[in-house]
Amino acid sequence: MKIPIWSIGAVMWLIAASTGAQPPSDNESLALVHAVMCEAIEDGKPVNETVVFSFEKEKAVCFTYFNPVPKKTHIYHRWYRRDRLNATAKLQVNPPQWSTFSRIQLREGDKGPWRVEVVDADGNRLKILRFSITE
Amino acid sequence: MDALIVFFKALRWQDFIDIALASYILFRFYVLFRGTYVFRVISGLALLWIFQRITAYLGLIVTSWALQGITAVAAFIIIVVFRNELRSVLQAKNIKNILWGVSQKTSQAPVDVIVSGIFELMERRIGALLVFPGSDDIDEVVENGIDWEGKITQEMILSIFWHDNPVHDGAAIIEGDEVRKVGVILPLSHRTDLPSHFGTRHRAAVGMAEKSDAMVVVVSEERKSILAVKGAELIKVASPDQLSQLLQRNIGVATDPEAPASRRSMRLATAGALSVLLVSGLWFSFTTGKDTLIELQVPVRYNNRPSGVEIVGASVNSVNLQLSGSGTLIQSLRPSQVQVQLDLKSAAVGANEFTITSSNISLPPGIVLKTVQPRQVTVTLDRLVRKQLPVQVDWTGKLPEDRILESVRVMPEAVEIEGGNRIIEDTETVYTQKVPLDGLTKSGTLSVGLALQPASLQVAPGSPEKVTVEYIIEKRP
Repeated sequence: MKIPIWSIGAVMWLIAASTGAQPPSDNESLALVHAVMCEAIEDGKPVNETVVFSFEKEKAVCFTYFNPVPKKTHIYHRWYRRDRLNATAKLQVNPPQWSTFSRIQLREGDKGPWRVEVVDADGNRLKILRFSITE
Repeated sequence: MDALIVFFKALRWQDFIDIALASYILFRFYVLFRGTYVFRVISGLALLWIFQRITAYLGLIVTSWALQGITAVAAFIIIVVFRNELRSVLQAKNIKNILWGVSQKTSQAPVDVIVSGIFELMERRIGALLVFPGSDDIDEVVENGIDWEGKITQEMILSIFWHDNPVHDGAAIIEGDEVRKVGVILPLSHRTDLPSHFGTRHRAAVGMAEKSDAMVVVVSEERKSILAVKGAELIKVASPDQLSQLLQRNIGVATDPEAPASRRSMRLATAGALSVLLVSGLWFSFTTGKDTLIELQVPVRYNNRPSGVEIVGASVNSVNLQLSGSGTLIQSLRPSQVQVQLDLKSAAVGANEFTITSSNISLPPGIVLKTVQPRQVTVTLDRLVRKQLPVQVDWTGKLPEDRILESVRVMPEAVEIEGGNRIIEDTETVYTQKVPLDGLTKSGTLSVGLALQPASLQVAPGSPEKVTVEYIIEKRP
C-alpha cells in the first residue's frame, strides 16, 4: 500500500556536494549509515531525535543517510501502525552519498505504537525504527 | 391412559434402583430407631413437613412460613437433643447390623421368673447387675465373664449374686431363657450428669446401655431400689409389673403369647411396604410434577484437543439450552450440574463443524432437554508454533513540554511467543502494557509486562513475562 499524499520524500543533495567525496567503486553496495526518528529536518540534519511524538506536534519524520550509494536507486520508508502497513514512501537515492527523509502528518486517531521499516529496492530490510504517537 | 403408558415407558432402570435404595434406607432407619424417642420425634417432624407442604399448596402464607422455619431448625435440634441416642445406635451396632440385621428373638424369656428373682434380690438387699441384650453383639463391648449357660430360675438368680459367690461382683448376661455369662465386666459411663449416689455398678449399667441396645437392670443393696437403663434412659422401677413391661418391650416378647414372631415379621413387612410407598410417592412428586421450562446459557467446553494444536476461533462460546422438568427439580437445578462438552479428538487443523446433540449435554436425572440454540458450532484449530518477536514499548500520556524522550532500549529485545500458526504468522511485534509518560522528567528504567494480542498468544515457556525498559530523557534544546 502506498500513500504518498501525506508522506514526503526530500533529496538532501547538499550533503553530497559539500563533502566532496570520491565516487564509490562498482563492487561497493548501498549502506545505511544513519537512521533516526526526529521532529524536523533543518539544514539537511535531523532535529530533536525522539521515539515519542505528541500528535500535537503535527508531524513525525524518518531520516536516513546512505554512504556509499554506488548507483542511482531508490529505497522505501514503510510506516506501520501496530503491524499494519499505513504508508509507503518511495525515495530516490543518488551516488556517492545521500540523505533522504519521509514524514507523516499526525492525527489524534494515530495514537499507539508505530515502526518505520527502511527497505532497499530489492526488498531487503535495512533498519527498523520504533516510536509511539501519544497525547 | 396413553399418558400413563408414556410415563411408564419413560422410566429408566436408574429410577427403579433409586426408589429401591431410598426405600431400603428408610426401612433400615425404621429398624434401627424403632421404639426410640428419636424415631417418634422424626416421625412427628415428617408429619410437620407434610403439613407444611399442604399449607404451602393451599396458600396459607404465614402458617407455611412458620412451619418451614420449624422444620428447618428441627434437624439441628434432633442432633443436639438426641446425640446420646444417635451415638448409642450408631456406635453400638456393627456394619452388618446397620445394613442388614433385624433383631431376632428365638427363645422366649421367662419374664415372670426374672422379675421375681430381681425383686427377691432387692428385698434381701443383695446388689445385682443383669444385662438383657438387644440385637447388638455385646461380646465386643464386655470383658471377661464366665460361661454359665444355665436355665433361669429364681434360685439361680439369687445364688449368682449371693455375697459369698466368687462371681457376684460382675454382671450376668441373660439371653432368652438362660443365663449365658456371669462375672462380666461392663464398660463404665463417663457421663457427668448422673446422680451423686451412683456407684460403679450404676455407672457400669449406664455405660453398657450407651454402647449397645441392651437393657441393664441394677439392684441397689444400699438404697433397696431397682433401676432399669436403656439407651440414655434411666427408669426407676417401682413395681414388678413395670419391670415386666420393660423387659417384655426390650426382648421383644409380645403380650399376646401367640405367634409373636409372625406378628413381628408382619410389622416389618408393613414397614417395608410403607417405605416403598412413601419413597415412590416422594419420587413421583419430585420428578413428575407439572412441567416447568427453564432457559439456561451454558458455556461450551472443548475436550480432548489434539496435542500441538490450539483453538483459534469458535463460532459460539456458549449455547442456550431449554430444559424441562418438575418445578422442584428445576428450582434446585444448579448451573454447574448442566454441562455442554464437545470432543475435539477427531478434529483437524482448520474449521471443524460440530452438531450439538443430547450426547454432548450432561443433565441431572429428571431434567429433560427440549432445544439447543445454536445447534451448529464451528471450531477452528491451528497448529501451535513458536516465534521470536521483537518487543516494543507502548508509550501513552504526555511528557512535560520541556522534555524529550530521546531513546529507548528494551531488554531482552525479543521474546519467544507461542500460538496458532495463522495468528503468529501475521504477528511481527510484541507490545508491552501501556507505559505512562506523565510525570517522567529524567532517564531511568522500568519493568513492564507484555500485552499479548490476541489472548490465544502466550509467552513460550522459558521466555520472560516482563521486560526491562531503559529510557533516556533530555531537556529540549
